[in-house]
Amino acid sequence: MVMKKMNYIVKDHSFEKFAMMAILGSSADAMDIEMHFFCTFWGLKLLKKNFKPKARGMPFPMKGMGAKMFKKRLKKGGIDSLLDLIKDAVENGSMKLYPCTTTMDLMKIKREDLFDFVEEPIGAAGFLEICDDADAVISL
Amino acid sequence: MVEKTVDYTGFRCPIPVLKTKKELKNLTSGQIIEVISDDIGSKKDIPAMLKKTGDELIEIREEDKSLIFKIKKT
Repeated sequence: MVMKKMNYIVKDHSFEKFAMMAILGSSADAMDIEMHFFCTFWGLKLLKKNFKPKARGMPFPMKGMGAKMFKKRLKKGGIDSLLDLIKDAVENGSMKLYPCTTTMDLMKIKREDLFDFVEEPIGAAGFLEICDDADAVISL
Repeated sequence: MVEKTVDYTGFRCPIPVLKTKKELKNLTSGQIIEVISDDIGSKKDIPAMLKKTGDELIEIREEDKSLIFKIKKT
């Protein structure tokens, strides 16, 4: 059976986007679907080792408390760590995370600032090539 | 005959799917597993996953507020 292939453009650094990446990526891994995430502009921050994403869509600014609250609730539902979900899916080979080269230059982010398990950085053409035979391309 | 029953009560999407998949990996072809979940999303999620992996969903039962899936590894 040919593996389905889905691609995502992640352009925002909120906690919500990080959670979506983790949940979609790990589910895809369970369903034998290939998932490629292209992290560009603010989305690249989600791949940084020391970055703590904050919840965006809260009714008022909560200075990181929103993310904390969500984490607590996710834990109740059995998700101890979103990062571990991502790591497992990446290790299994069905989830791939690509840093955008241009964003790395624009934001002065180095390869060593990013998680070790991300792919080699790629540019627009590199990502478009991955999209060429994809079954879906979605912008998060 | 059911080889094993696993209870994922309290767990929410995507954990029941991920854990079921992991359990299936440890089974040999023809073995049957029973999965209990009270996540309403599982009703569609687990069959969707099985459709992809090719394992067979023998039945879904509802008991109280729980869903019980009987799955045969192919």
